[in-house]
Amino acid sequence: MKKLTLLAGILIFGLVLPAFVGGDFRLPPPEKIVLDNGLTVYYLRNSDLPLVNFRILVLGTGTAYEPAEEEGVADLTAQLLLKGTTEIDAEAVAETLDFMGANLEVRARDEFTEVSGECLTQYFPRLMEITGSCLLKPAFKEEEFIKERAKRIDGIKAAKDDPNEAVRLYFRKAYFGTHPLGHLAGGTETSLKKMGLQELTHFYLAHFRPDQVIAAVVGDVSREDLVSLLKKHFGIWRNPASAKPALSLPPLPKISAKKLVLVDKPDASQAYFILGSPGYPMGDAVTPAADVMNTLFGGRFTSWLSTELRIKRGLTYGAYSSFQPWRSGGLFTSASFTRNEKIGEMLDITFDLLKKAREQGFSAEEIESAHNYILGQFPPSLETNGRKAGAFTELAFYGLGFDYYTKLLQKIQDVSPEAAREAALRLLPQEGYVLLVLGKESEISSLLKKFGTFQKKRISDPDF
Amino acid sequence: MNKKISRVILAMVLLSVFLRASFRKEDVKIHRLDNGLKILLAEDHGIPNLALFTFFRVGSRNERAGLTGVSHFIEHMMFNGTAKFGPGQFDRRMEFRGGSNNAYTSQDLTAYTDWFPAAALETMIEMEADRMQGLAFVPAALESERGVVASERRLGVENDNDGLLGENVVATAIMAHPYHWDVIGWMSDIQSWRRDDILAYYRTFYAPNNAVLILVGDFDSAKALELIRRYYSPIPSGTPPPTLTTVEPAQLGAKQVTIRKEAQTPSFQMVFHAPAGRDGDFPPLSILDKVLLQGESSRLYRRLVRQEQLAISVGGGVAETIDPFLFSIEVKPRQGADLVRLESVIGEELEKVRTEAISESEFQKALNMIRSNFYAGLQTISGKANQLGLAEIMYNDYEKLFTMMDRYSAVKREDVREAARKYLTDNNKTVGKLIPEGGAQ
Repeated sequence: MKKLTLLAGILIFGLVLPAFVGGDFRLPPPEKIVLDNGLTVYYLRNSDLPLVNFRILVLGTGTAYEPAEEEGVADLTAQLLLKGTTEIDAEAVAETLDFMGANLEVRARDEFTEVSGECLTQYFPRLMEITGSCLLKPAFKEEEFIKERAKRIDGIKAAKDDPNEAVRLYFRKAYFGTHPLGHLAGGTETSLKKMGLQELTHFYLAHFRPDQVIAAVVGDVSREDLVSLLKKHFGIWRNPASAKPALSLPPLPKISAKKLVLVDKPDASQAYFILGSPGYPMGDAVTPAADVMNTLFGGRFTSWLSTELRIKRGLTYGAYSSFQPWRSGGLFTSASFTRNEKIGEMLDITFDLLKKAREQGFSAEEIESAHNYILGQFPPSLETNGRKAGAFTELAFYGLGFDYYTKLLQKIQDVSPEAAREAALRLLPQEGYVLLVLGKESEISSLLKKFGTFQKKRISDPDF
Repeated sequence: MNKKISRVILAMVLLSVFLRASFRKEDVKIHRLDNGLKILLAEDHGIPNLALFTFFRVGSRNERAGLTGVSHFIEHMMFNGTAKFGPGQFDRRMEFRGGSNNAYTSQDLTAYTDWFPAAALETMIEMEADRMQGLAFVPAALESERGVVASERRLGVENDNDGLLGENVVATAIMAHPYHWDVIGWMSDIQSWRRDDILAYYRTFYAPNNAVLILVGDFDSAKALELIRRYYSPIPSGTPPPTLTTVEPAQLGAKQVTIRKEAQTPSFQMVFHAPAGRDGDFPPLSILDKVLLQGESSRLYRRLVRQEQLAISVGGGVAETIDPFLFSIEVKPRQGADLVRLESVIGEELEKVRTEAISESEFQKALNMIRSNFYAGLQTISGKANQLGLAEIMYNDYEKLFTMMDRYSAVKREDVREAARKYLTDNNKTVGKLIPEGGAQ
């Protein structure tokens, strides 16, 4: 491969929200369907292929809404929803889904749980029935809980064997500390060992309710059929008597000083780093300028980071930067990896580029190239039913409106070199950042000394 | 339900679904230039973009000792400059016009995948045509890219236990055929390929008569074809590349490979020699891999993950390759799992598929999985371009894409048992284990 799939994924994902409409292409507006219990569904018909895709967000059930001492409960609850209901046991759920060649996934994201599914048209009624049963009538069997928890504890150890995966988990912890956005979806060895089934059932009963649902269905199904399926399988879902819980998170960490962490992985022949600092909240006015700036800094193949670290020097297979916005704040990260003896040089270049972006900004030609690039890459980012369903639910959740991309397009075309530099000055780290390096300490610690004092961790120690 | 009747109903369902699909054989137009370049055009005006995919019939199967990994390396060098467009120009010009791209190399092929706004078509055709034979292999760019590929190998093999074990297992199972080595190549070869050898390899395989160009998206066929003719017609055809004559000898007894290294969890793989993608035995084995390995209802997931709780995941299957490759069973065992027990559980399950036919419901499940994946792959213009290109490389005939399901629905359940008997045998087996040492708790 020329590029990391990871990198391609980040590029495209980064574009789904902070991007805009290319040419005359725009996100087609969906039709809104609201059930009596408040459950909201956005619908768009597409009969090009015999496929239907759906997305269901359950707000307030993401990892950031877990009790502090129950890290991992949200995603474990999500997983248990697929492990049997009062109507159909775990094996029958798996058998039915596989038989249809259907996908049904339930995952806790940071701010919500995301249920996503796709199937051939002919099986859509059955997939809706199964999904309704899983969401409304989970059995939460003790033996299924025990199995899933054990798999997760081993999954964490397997993740620590993979430096590319481990570096992300350690970084998340180092950056957010005890802030709820630091919760790892997979939990930690310590949190999982303490967790019982009652924490899951409690989490489910307290947070899963139809008035917290935003859903989208895109594909080969008629409105009539869809409404009748929704009523049948989700209409019976009742809201609890309690008021709808507020969806707010504490302010994100300020990160006003630098924090350095080194994770020792003695068998690593490559050192991996992630550098992070505060970003911006979803829908913030800086979005268009930040998007243009990041495209040039580390968001595409010819970006500054990729040019200096990969194309010119051959230090790495991949180098990128990205913004992750949430409702109440955001994160900027820059990341790469190189053979152990080059990690010092790689970090020097990264810091130099950050400084250069802040001090010099970008040329008019570069800005024009970024405009064209973001514009040109937008239509494919919404090509599939799944991408459209994802866009509908996220735009609705963040309250941005379905013409958000169209408006953002206009604004991105207006981003000037000065505005991009202002975004760099505001958003690229100078004094305050978290730098996490994962690699073979005995070979890299001397190269890292000049950056300051690193807090040390060992990969074989439990947790992160 | 009566087996025959259910089969007829299933065939009808498949047919009706097929006729409804928006992407049909008739949507693809084929052209061939005098220099041998094959061109497939499929207009699709869903989004104002195009997918331009170029497939070359060259992959690691065409390499030799000392030059392992060179097909993939040339894939990287294709972005590093020609006489006309210097190093880095391809990506800079493309991104300036709103385009993006990637590329991939397998054992059998190298694919260049560009997706861009309709207005960039001429720029992209000009640059793709230019790099088909114009690569400069500037020494400084070559040395820098060598470092990139070394880093890619460290990422995917040396620092990835499953990747490392996989490389060892394949190299143990396959001894003579060039599928013996990984597409990335051995590290010592990456460090020492010579420019002259790389250039000679490029000249041998990068020619219009060894390539297929596929354009899908928002364009006018007559105009696009005119542009393609203008830029590609002047390229001379090449001497047909040498054909690969090495045939992997039959394996005469079970093999085993063990890796001991610092790790917290073990890795486990079991592979068997399998037929080429074109072989009549390929579809039954592909159906069998769904039954054994795909999804949480699969036999090995149920046994190893749910019942015995020896593993956290299972995966693998057969790959559609030009020459015979492997049927693989890849298991992520739990920490401290009894690998001997794990291996014997797999043995028990394989014995069942060798002695009894799979159930009708398992058979239909596999067909539904194949059908779902097929449509999912056609949701985008890039997906369509990729599927057409793969069909061309595998079968020299993109039309095979549109009859792919027929090949699978013609399989009988007994064929699956016979294929299991023929291929999933002890003598045909290689088992690989990565055993954690030191460092772990």
